[in-house]
Amino acid sequence: MRRTPQALIIALAAGAASLLGTQASFAQDGDDEIEVDPEEGTGEGGEEPEIEIEEPPEGDLEADTASLEAESSAADEAVKVDAKVGDYKVSWQDIVTVIRKPFLKIRRWDLMPMLATTMNDNMVRHVSAGAQLSYYLTDVLSVGVEGQYYSKSFREPFDLVARQARRLPTINQYNFSGALNFHYVPVYGKFAILDKNIVTWETYFTAGLGITQSEVVPRDPRFPGFTNLLITPNVGASMRFFLFKWMTVNVGIRDYLFVDKFEPVNRDAMTNATAEDAKENADSAFINNVMFQLGISFWLPPTFEYTTFR
Amino acid sequence: MHSSPLLRLTRLGGLSLASAIAGTIALAAAPSDAAAERRTSGLEDQPAVRHRMLLVAKRFELTPMFESTINADFRHIVGGGLKLEYHLSDMLSFGAVGVFSTSLDTGLVGKISPTLEDSVDDMTREPSDDEFLQHLNEMPLHGAAYVSLTPWYGKLAAFGKAFVNFDFYFQAGVSFASLKSNCDSSICDDDHPGTVDDTDPDNPIQPDLNPNNDPPLNDGSRVGLYLGGGIHVFLNEFLALDLTVRDYAFSDNPSGADFDANLYVDDNDSRFMHHLFMGAGLSIMLPTKVKRTP
Repeated sequence: MRRTPQALIIALAAGAASLLGTQASFAQDGDDEIEVDPEEGTGEGGEEPEIEIEEPPEGDLEADTASLEAESSAADEAVKVDAKVGDYKVSWQDIVTVIRKPFLKIRRWDLMPMLATTMNDNMVRHVSAGAQLSYYLTDVLSVGVEGQYYSKSFREPFDLVARQARRLPTINQYNFSGALNFHYVPVYGKFAILDKNIVTWETYFTAGLGITQSEVVPRDPRFPGFTNLLITPNVGASMRFFLFKWMTVNVGIRDYLFVDKFEPVNRDAMTNATAEDAKENADSAFINNVMFQLGISFWLPPTFEYTTFR
Repeated sequence: MHSSPLLRLTRLGGLSLASAIAGTIALAAAPSDAAAERRTSGLEDQPAVRHRMLLVAKRFELTPMFESTINADFRHIVGGGLKLEYHLSDMLSFGAVGVFSTSLDTGLVGKISPTLEDSVDDMTREPSDDEFLQHLNEMPLHGAAYVSLTPWYGKLAAFGKAFVNFDFYFQAGVSFASLKSNCDSSICDDDHPGTVDDTDPDNPIQPDLNPNNDPPLNDGSRVGLYLGGGIHVFLNEFLALDLTVRDYAFSDNPSGADFDANLYVDDNDSRFMHHLFMGAGLSIMLPTKVKRTP
């Protein structure tokens, strides 16, 4: 009941808007898409023109994003209402069409437990568990360290080659690795899932330098294997999907490059019988160990504040 | 007090009465219920993105493409082909892909082959170089017919400069492949692998239990399952970079050798295998003009 006068004002505004034309709606016919988050509204049609936006709960990225979208909707409402005033026109140029980045990384720590598996070795599959800790110097550049522990399993061709071609493959397994890495974020974007939920994501490239310990798997178990500590540059690309202010999901591919030392072909009781001799006469080969990685990042501090204007 | 909005309207000159009445009825009728629904979002049933370019809906997609196996055991399959797809909507489409290929020996073959015997010696269990190589098969033609779902679409900014649209899609369907192996009759000369040749009942010939001279039985046509997933990166309204990972799964025995260790090669040595390919193509969307959502 008490809202009726306000409703009248709105009604007048609607009528005036219908008379004044639809310049505002024409302005929408540009190239920009308009994103709408159904979680956030602007009130019923008869409400007062100003929009009340509740502060999103701490650590809720989705609510934060919705809040930003609602602000855009508020501006949209302002265009319709203020058109009747005549002395102050709000144009679409005044509306922020590019919202603030929904996730800030600068001066935050990224702790990422991860799992990884070999992509390019058809003899032995390594699965690794590890973690990566990075610090973002800026919103697009970070420096960090990583460590992984590997577990191996032989794949079908390992047995087939031995059985069908009567040849024993020369195999090295990887035990652990560590690296100092730099990450750079050149690509960011957003996508809609089933035309409903909008998810933001980014792509980052990684380059680093570290070490890997490999270990020879002896073809003949009578002879001992040996280990190698290998200098290991790495390069890679990953995608990060933002779920909350404090958590993201990462998938990526990383190429670990090193020159590995393999068991020499000639090895018997008289030749290369000891680990030292075998290592001395090892065959070297350049290896690309390409791994698919999946990780969940936990961000510290778990929230952030914007320090610039919209 | 509940004063009449219509009375107030009559005092305002120059306004369209019809517009004002319509607006008044629409808006003033709501407040009695508005309090209860004050926090109800008016956008609940709205699409996530308005004025979105429908980059695939109701369009044909023609894609010249290149494709190569990922991590093949014995022979890389590398080739070129064509993908033709029709998008019923911006999420659902159907299509087919066909690829003509050539085969390249993998590094594994390169390591094994030089170490094998130069000439056939049936007294050893080891295959000769020719026996090993001629048992391997090739895949001159393969493809699939599929249904595709595009649940994700979006846009990305590269280096803060290039803004492009993209979508992710997933495909499932039926795969087919034409396999070929060329084992010379002088190499694969066992005409009764694993069985007793009793054409002469008085002198039956026992199986030689040497799989190296058996026909590989890994050629011919295959039909199986197909799964794929990929991304369109739209360069403009009608051209898109198409990157795809495809899995053509069907019965195969790439080595053409004895798999089940019964010392002869038969059809049981073939097993359901995944043939993983990575493809890249340039999609041409027809018609070239796009529509937008409301």
